[in-house]
Amino acid sequence: MNNKKLLHKTTNSFLIYAVIILLTAAPVFYYICQWLYIYETDEVLLFHKGDFVNQSHQNYTANDIAAWNKYNQNVRIVADMGVKKDSIVGEMLFEPVANEKEPFRILYAPVEINGKKYTYIEKRNLVEMEGMVFSVAAMFLFIIMILLIGIIWISKRLAEKIWKPFYNTLGQIQDFEIDKNNPPHFIPTDIDEFDRLNKSLERLIEKNTAIYKSQREFVENAAHELQTPLALFQTKIDTLQQLDLTREQSELVASLNKDVSRLNRLNKNLLLLSKIDNEIYPEQETIILNEYIEKHLDFFTEQAQAKNLTISTNLDNTLSIKGNKALAEVLLNNLFLNAIRHNVKNGVIEIVTENNILKFINTGPEIPLTEQTIFNRFSKVNPSSQGNGLGLAIIKKICDISHWDIHYSFNDNLHIFEVTF
Amino acid sequence: MKILIIEDEREIAQSIKDYFKTNGIQCETAENYNLAVTKIDSYDYDCILLDLMLPDGDGFEILKELKSKNKTEGVIIISAKENLETRLEGFNLGADDYLTKPFHLAELLVRMQALIRRKNFKGSNSIIFNEIVVDIFSKTVTVNDTKLDLTKKELDLLLFLIGNENKVLSKSAIAEHLSGDMADMLDNHDFIYAHIKNLKKKLTQAGSGDYIKTVYGLGYKWENE
Repeated sequence: MNNKKLLHKTTNSFLIYAVIILLTAAPVFYYICQWLYIYETDEVLLFHKGDFVNQSHQNYTANDIAAWNKYNQNVRIVADMGVKKDSIVGEMLFEPVANEKEPFRILYAPVEINGKKYTYIEKRNLVEMEGMVFSVAAMFLFIIMILLIGIIWISKRLAEKIWKPFYNTLGQIQDFEIDKNNPPHFIPTDIDEFDRLNKSLERLIEKNTAIYKSQREFVENAAHELQTPLALFQTKIDTLQQLDLTREQSELVASLNKDVSRLNRLNKNLLLLSKIDNEIYPEQETIILNEYIEKHLDFFTEQAQAKNLTISTNLDNTLSIKGNKALAEVLLNNLFLNAIRHNVKNGVIEIVTENNILKFINTGPEIPLTEQTIFNRFSKVNPSSQGNGLGLAIIKKICDISHWDIHYSFNDNLHIFEVTF
Repeated sequence: MKILIIEDEREIAQSIKDYFKTNGIQCETAENYNLAVTKIDSYDYDCILLDLMLPDGDGFEILKELKSKNKTEGVIIISAKENLETRLEGFNLGADDYLTKPFHLAELLVRMQALIRRKNFKGSNSIIFNEIVVDIFSKTVTVNDTKLDLTKKELDLLLFLIGNENKVLSKSAIAEHLSGDMADMLDNHDFIYAHIKNLKKKLTQAGSGDYIKTVYGLGYKWENE
């Protein structure tokens, strides 16, 4: 959707309104002016005629009339044309001075001079009206234009000023992240609505941050509190297995042992996750990932033997990255373990370093995983697997915190995890 | 040998006590800070196991107390706290080792033995089990004076087994011991089978007795025939 800016939207409405008004006002104004002028001209014509009738023209002789007609350009007395009452018409007549046809108003009126019927004809040129109407219209439009531009400009400025706290609030909320420790500070405003908005947002953020914090603390505290009962569990199993057990009992204890170490692992991972969440990792150092991979290859190769996996590496490219060493190690361990855990018997793992990219490629179930959910906590594809569903969540968290990019793809029946540094 | 367990969780202290008893280790317990300080003042111990979170005080205070009284007991911190700062502070205050809860009793036992060995070091430092002699210092193993060629892991495993003589060791305890820092990552403990097999072969080939016994599905046990 093409979103418009709030300020543009109000200004746009003003502009559209102004254009419509100008476009319709111009012709309407022109015609009204013209009509008014013609009306005035007609009044003048009738007034002249009335004047003529009232004055001493009553006793004009035919010679007088001829003389009148000789010296009068605009008023002529002619023999009765059969005009019964005053009538005014508009006509285009040739004007010798301008050498072209020009608009005229012509009054034909019946008059009686010396008991004889005549027709009184008076014409008035409308050319001067055209110019006048135009200049009046232009002036008027000019004033309207200035007025509108002023209104738009002032409203725009005013709107900018009024909406300033709103934009400030908007910017702060955009930058706000609940897991970072920097609550927004809204600038105080004297506009009631914005003040209410800011206060509501402050309350909302405060409340949610508190909930988020307690949630995080809960995970951490729960995991911490579990350490002691787990320790009790562990030491008691250790003690129990020293007793003279039957084969059946031994097998039970063995399976309990497995369970307790799985619990331990889950708890350790939860602790690790909340530690990554809560701690700040400012120490940035240069880490050569190849060295770490090579150092621990033996350990993981040993782990991979149970599934008879073949691990091959292509570490020609030296991956030298900036980041926190402890986190980078946890990331690599989890990627490695993930590739082993979800592998199939006699499968392969390939570790490749490219320019700025680390790839773990492994065989596994021949169906692609859904990238949207695999990085979620406790998202397990195979519920019976030994994994606790936190490995990939830890990987994702570390990548997020270190501004690295983790990407999963499935190609040629191979699962590929790709970290871009 | 006498040790002091400073731990507010009575049952953990008791488990440690029971487990160590058969190895000839005499354990005393103190479940709070005051009792611990009184006991430290009155007796000398070979080793102190110290929980950091005590109901009436901080375990670090006990370390300071020991230091101020010039006590030389080795201290192993056993704590649920798992972070670098706590660990470093512990070592700075004079602790010798740090074990995070939950732990295997077998692990605690060998760590304590190693600590006591280090403390009592007098020229020679070897563990002798019948015909097997392990020289800790030079990291060599001989059986009837024949030198064995063991990998680092196998040597580690041998020390772990001998240290826990007559104890049934679960696969997970052995696996976690062998993996060190990486122990948390393990989700399969079967890899120890290969190490056990190799060690057993090397020992018997050199003429030693077959002391490694398999305990059904549970694990292994080092036992004098």
